[in-house]
Amino acid sequence: MITIDDVKKLAKLSRLEFTDEEAAKFVGELEATLKQVDAINKVDVSKIDLIEDTINADTDLRRDEIIPSLTSSEIVANAPEREDGAFLVPVTVAEE
Amino acid sequence: MKYLDLSLSEVLDLLNAGKVSSVELVTECFDRINETSDLNALNSTYKDEAIKRAREIDERRKNGESVGALAGIPIVLKDNINYLGTKTTCASKFLENFVSPYSATCAERLHAADAIVIGKANMDEFAMGSSNENSAFGAVKNPVDNTRVPGGSSGGSACTVAARQCFAALGTDTGGSIREPSSFCGVVGIKPTYGRVSRYGVVAFASSLDQVGPITRTVRDNAMMLNVISGADEHDMTSSRVSVPDFTSKLEAGVKGIKIGVAKQFFTDALSGEVRNALDKAIEWYKNAGAEIVEIDLPSLVTALAVYYVISSAEAASNLARFDGVKYGRRAPEYTDIVDLYFKSRTQGFGAEVKRRIMLGNYVLSSGYYDAFYRKAKRVQKVIRNEFNEAFKLCDVLISPTTATTAFKLGEKANDCVAMYLTDIFTVPINIAGVPALSMPCGKDANGLPIGMQIIAKHFDEETIYQVANAFETAHKEDK
Repeated sequence: MITIDDVKKLAKLSRLEFTDEEAAKFVGELEATLKQVDAINKVDVSKIDLIEDTINADTDLRRDEIIPSLTSSEIVANAPEREDGAFLVPVTVAEE
Repeated sequence: MKYLDLSLSEVLDLLNAGKVSSVELVTECFDRINETSDLNALNSTYKDEAIKRAREIDERRKNGESVGALAGIPIVLKDNINYLGTKTTCASKFLENFVSPYSATCAERLHAADAIVIGKANMDEFAMGSSNENSAFGAVKNPVDNTRVPGGSSGGSACTVAARQCFAALGTDTGGSIREPSSFCGVVGIKPTYGRVSRYGVVAFASSLDQVGPITRTVRDNAMMLNVISGADEHDMTSSRVSVPDFTSKLEAGVKGIKIGVAKQFFTDALSGEVRNALDKAIEWYKNAGAEIVEIDLPSLVTALAVYYVISSAEAASNLARFDGVKYGRRAPEYTDIVDLYFKSRTQGFGAEVKRRIMLGNYVLSSGYYDAFYRKAKRVQKVIRNEFNEAFKLCDVLISPTTATTAFKLGEKANDCVAMYLTDIFTVPINIAGVPALSMPCGKDANGLPIGMQIIAKHFDEETIYQVANAFETAHKEDK
């Protein structure tokens, strides 16, 4: 059972805001989706070990070498607000 | 004759023989794009740059200089693939003005092969959707019937190829996003093996499932595109070092002795009669052409959609956490502090479906539910994967319908997310298993809408898929 409080908690975790009407709609939609998801409980997974999947033998790690990459001005070029090659955010620590 | 009526491979032969110029091809593409702009297939186009590049490539060819494998061919990229200096919006308000500071490896490889990127294709926002109705820039129309959806999320990519605005496009496929629109628009689309194509520079949806692949009008064209974009990439540690064959080498090998698996789990009551008939006829054709039909059992296939919605939403919620209104994209105009800035920017920037997936993802990852949902889904994923591995000990390829029905009407499923999710029921298991699968046309319904056939093979065996697909396509050329 999903409650409106669950949806509000999830919204907060997700950094999203919903009107009460939207949140109420989510209760129904989440429940319908989770009902579908319940199918995973019908499969016997008692013999399945996930540990071996954490390392894929086929992949390769990057060499620990310094190579050219994007400059800081290129990186901040898409930031909505920027200054001197840095991201600009509202004051997060107040002065005494 | 219009050059756009030809396939990529045919027009490449004409280019190499000096019978047509790349400038002519690019010009014809833009004429066609203008004529068919109501389809809303493209989010951006680069006419001046494309003509300039075509002229350079024509010049190099004329002077006998070496040119790349796709020299002078106009192509389109899905709008979640970065290409230096172009907008990459993911069809989201959030990234409306985002300009790529670098190119994705797949785009870079096409560029290096001298293909000409002429535009970026519309899509469902952040690749989440099965109808292309979730785009912040408006729905795409199916070129076969403008009242119907082209499928999604690579709806623009399938549409632009089917509408002959270009010779090939790239899409991305997390649960069917290349194959379902290819099926609905009557073109050829492949989701390669996970790891076959680098994901570097492709905006992530569900990183363990996402894969880039080409959409084309013929099987050969598809193999030629995959030849260029495949292979290991030091920028993507999940890209595979498995060697890349020439995917065109076995195209003419025929299907004599090929074992084709048919699993009853793919032929459910959900299938429309016309789709079932088309598939039955295709399987019969393969049998008459010398293939052996083998019955296969995939008992856990039905759970794949449930697994998909847990894993893909969990990964999407994590991947989309980076959109905070600080580093790139949209920032809400008004906010009280930094946390409010996050809330407001995300709430205003994301569309409804993206929010739905983020909420579901954070639900299955949240404390107390992680084991019950995410870990459980990962275990069931392994069961499904094992079943596919066992199946491919008995057959070379599996054949199934790509979708249970042909293209549905615009708006028909827009308000029912569960009905929309069910559209992907035959394509999702492929991403869960990580194997490659191609969708190609295998007939039309009474309304003239294309029916799609899905050909699936074991990991890294795209070559056999192309062999089996090309045999069918060659024998059915007249039906097109």
